[in-house]
Amino acid sequence: MKTAQAGTLESMDCLVTASEAEKGRGISITMEGASVARFGEAILKTAKETLREIGVKDIKLSIQDNGATDLVLRARVEAAALRLFGGDRR
Amino acid sequence: MRLRRTKLYLPGNNPNMLLRGYLFKPDGVILDLEDAVSMSEKDAARILVREVLKQGEFGECEVTVRINGMDTAFWRKDIETVVPCGIDGIRVPKVESPKDMQILDEALSEIEEKAGIPVGKTLIFCLLETALGIWRAYDIATSSPRIAGICPGGEDLRADLKTDRSETGEELVGPRRIVVLAAHAAKVDALDTVYADVTDDEGLKRETQWIKQLGYQGKSVIHPNQIPIIHAVFAPTQKEIEQAKKIVAAAREAAKKGLGAVSVDGRMVDKPVVKRAEYTLQRAGLLEGGE
Repeated sequence: MKTAQAGTLESMDCLVTASEAEKGRGISITMEGASVARFGEAILKTAKETLREIGVKDIKLSIQDNGATDLVLRARVEAAALRLFGGDRR
Repeated sequence: MRLRRTKLYLPGNNPNMLLRGYLFKPDGVILDLEDAVSMSEKDAARILVREVLKQGEFGECEVTVRINGMDTAFWRKDIETVVPCGIDGIRVPKVESPKDMQILDEALSEIEEKAGIPVGKTLIFCLLETALGIWRAYDIATSSPRIAGICPGGEDLRADLKTDRSETGEELVGPRRIVVLAAHAAKVDALDTVYADVTDDEGLKRETQWIKQLGYQGKSVIHPNQIPIIHAVFAPTQKEIEQAKKIVAAAREAAKKGLGAVSVDGRMVDKPVVKRAEYTLQRAGLLEGGE
């Protein structure tokens, strides 16, 4: 299965691993990290919003968070997805 | 006159530095897409920098982005991504040709127009990192009205000069003098390169005193600890502050009375002297900055 990564595990960053999902399977996201218990919902919302903006419908994401702010998460999700599918969807 | 004593480089793929760099209160920040980012991370850094520019905080800092050189495949994508975010300027590495600056100027105008940004708003700062770039400093500095500053290189320039770093920095004396002369002749800022040894405060202080004496307005910075040292060197003396206060007060008084000429202690003072006095008060933190 094709996968792509973006980000790091350094402080204020997150590591996003994207892998292909079959057409029609939608978006599935798993999360890890100390902040997930408190901010899991917000992380999910931002990741889904970002994928919608760049037109990605079917994908599997794994997010390892180390205190990334909303805008960092957004950037890493976009970079991982674009690396997986190639090109610039914006 | 905009204060440009310190410009702090922030690695373009490092969220921690990108988001916190301004807190160290440099006069400007440089979000770096070039040397601080490995080839395999150029795409991710560009996206991260775009998001930081759109939503991040920068306080009073002048915000610039160092793009990849015009001899790479990245520069156009870099400016297309960052210029619509409304930055103050871009920093261009390894500039050697005035023609390249005209091409860049046109590309910037196109992007600004599309993004609804006033055409000409995005300034250009040129890094002259080769012997040829230094040699053409004046022609480069006058190649576009956007050019606001020129800066001699450090390590790349040494390599191009087929020399290496010495303790006294002798090998860069000539290039620094050429750049400062060209900058003032072209009415743009002369901005010095970084002092690479972040543990040598005395060395940084000495070098800053020297480049200030040559006529430079400031230096690039690679570590936040270097900022207060450089600001202290550029801080005016009490005597300079008192004199500047007198001149600025006299100029304001003259303006109020509708007089063209300004007189201080019985002597006429012309416009450049008033500007210089305002710059002194700015460096002392007694006058708000501005273009």
